[in-house]
Amino acid sequence: MRISRGLAHAAMLAWGVVTALPLLWAVLSSFKSDHEILTAPWSIPQHPQWTNWSRAWNEADIGRYFLNSAIVVGGALVLTMLLGALVAYALARYEFPGNRLVYHTFVAAMFFPVFLALVPLFFVVKQLHLLDTYAGLILVYAAYAVPFTVFFLHAFFRTLPSSIAEAAFLDGCGHGAVFFRIMLPMARPGLVAVGIFNFLGLWNQYLLPLVLNSDPDRYVLAQGLAALSVSQGYRSDWSGLFAGLTIAMIPVLVAYVAFQRHIRAGMTTGAVR
Amino acid sequence: MATVTYAKATRVYPGAKTPAVDALDLEIGDGEFLVLVGPSGCGKSTSLRMLAGLEDVNSGNIFINQNDVTHLPPKARDIAMVFQNYALYPHMSVYDNMAFALKLRKTPKSEIEARVKEAAKMLQLEEYLSRKPKALSGGQRQRVAMGRAIVRHPQVFLMDEPLSNLDAKLRVQTRSQIATMQAKLGVTTVYVTHDQVEAMTMGHRVAVLLDGHLQQVDTPRALYDRPANVFVAGFMGSPAMNIKTVGLTDQGAKFVDMLLPLTRDQVAAAQADGGNGRVTIGFRPEDTEIVGGLDKGMPITVDLVEELGSDAFVYGTVALEGQDERFTVRADPRKVPQLGEVVHVRPRPDSHHAFNAATGLRLG
Repeated sequence: MRISRGLAHAAMLAWGVVTALPLLWAVLSSFKSDHEILTAPWSIPQHPQWTNWSRAWNEADIGRYFLNSAIVVGGALVLTMLLGALVAYALARYEFPGNRLVYHTFVAAMFFPVFLALVPLFFVVKQLHLLDTYAGLILVYAAYAVPFTVFFLHAFFRTLPSSIAEAAFLDGCGHGAVFFRIMLPMARPGLVAVGIFNFLGLWNQYLLPLVLNSDPDRYVLAQGLAALSVSQGYRSDWSGLFAGLTIAMIPVLVAYVAFQRHIRAGMTTGAVR
Repeated sequence: MATVTYAKATRVYPGAKTPAVDALDLEIGDGEFLVLVGPSGCGKSTSLRMLAGLEDVNSGNIFINQNDVTHLPPKARDIAMVFQNYALYPHMSVYDNMAFALKLRKTPKSEIEARVKEAAKMLQLEEYLSRKPKALSGGQRQRVAMGRAIVRHPQVFLMDEPLSNLDAKLRVQTRSQIATMQAKLGVTTVYVTHDQVEAMTMGHRVAVLLDGHLQQVDTPRALYDRPANVFVAGFMGSPAMNIKTVGLTDQGAKFVDMLLPLTRDQVAAAQADGGNGRVTIGFRPEDTEIVGGLDKGMPITVDLVEELGSDAFVYGTVALEGQDERFTVRADPRKVPQLGEVVHVRPRPDSHHAFNAATGLRLG
């Protein structure tokens, strides 16, 4: 018993180190000078170089990419959560012909490799005149993220006690009010969990914007960082790159830390016995 | 204030062959406390949910105050329901839980507050109004569920086994509180339970259901004294009535040497409808005495004695027509027989019930 727990702890510790060290290394490197990065990669920064960050933000346009990412991911996230929750709720709690078919279509879409869709997707977006626009990217991101959201929230809505919805109907709610005032707040842990997952996935999305978003003014962060590392060639600004990388990581970390409590919280405790 | 009428109301679940509730006819008077009781799966909850509008009615009608509500949505019926698991809104405070229905109806804020405060006072919930349901005990949650129904001032209260999640002591206490409160408010109430003690103690009238069919509806006293059929006889009362099917003679029913007399009409009715020389006889443990052997009692061999302090119940077996049959008898708790002892037992005169052996219906 104790040995197996010790092993589990050791394994988790190892996993934690493997995950955290590169992050830590990137953050530390963002404070070093280029010379220091190349000569003493494992050391603590001797003289923290704050200018790396301002250089990345201003000169390397990370600031603009950051804003682009925020707009696109924010819009897509709102759209995904709204549509995903509505679809999942309807599929989970209403019986109607074709219910299973719709649900399985979403599940199948989840397993569809995005690579196969890239070329047709490009032409669809082009026909809609949405190439190189925020709206185009938002729509595609939402379509990309909705299947998993539906899959996840469907399971979640199924676990919520139906008697609470019935109580709300008796109290005078229509279907809309039951959803928005009762079931959606009760599903908050599920919404937060899938929201964070979607945020991580969309924030780090590279392939879709690479194909659909070729205007450098509208680059998202992942594109911007890639451009930064590619375009500089031998005239490398390593410290600026690490600073940009760290800037890109911060929102993800902040989102996770801020919401992790909600993911674990069991909101339904106390509703029913 | 309202009356409720079920007129041949029927519910067939999709895919089911037999109806969950089959042509239920039931009239509930204004201000009445009616209890629906029966074993699990008898259709009592379904009947209640049909009245609430949570379950479709496949045929027949349901009326509240002569208004046909059969196909109205729940919110148009002006009823409030207390659920078995309370179904409180977990993300709202106790106050908001109770105020929710009123807010939806756009009741003025001052009136909402007055009504919630009043209900909270009645239910001793005043200090918990700002808490979330998860910070309450089971009994408190149950009272919040009651309060949510009370503040509505609905036409009808519906209660679906509201006490079954409470511990035994709290259940008895809450039972009397609900009955008192209903009497005070005078709101027509339909109450579902599987517990015949709750049914007997709370209901003005009790409707007994089995397999979707209404067996009998009457006052608790009448159900106890004159059960309409074998099922009701066995279901009401604890411990259950002794019910055995034995041979029929011209004078009555024979239990070994003990003859339980039947009237001529009863004998005739027992022979009809495929009775085939048999009759089903029931007598309650509390109507049965241990007698001296000379009084023509039935000899039973004691195999269990339950002492409850106020009462003692003696369980014993006897061979009837070659089969061991068990009987329960209430005995003087100060004079209980020994295990293995043979005692003679006999129901008090005219306290036995007779039923047709084939149809199970009461004879006379």
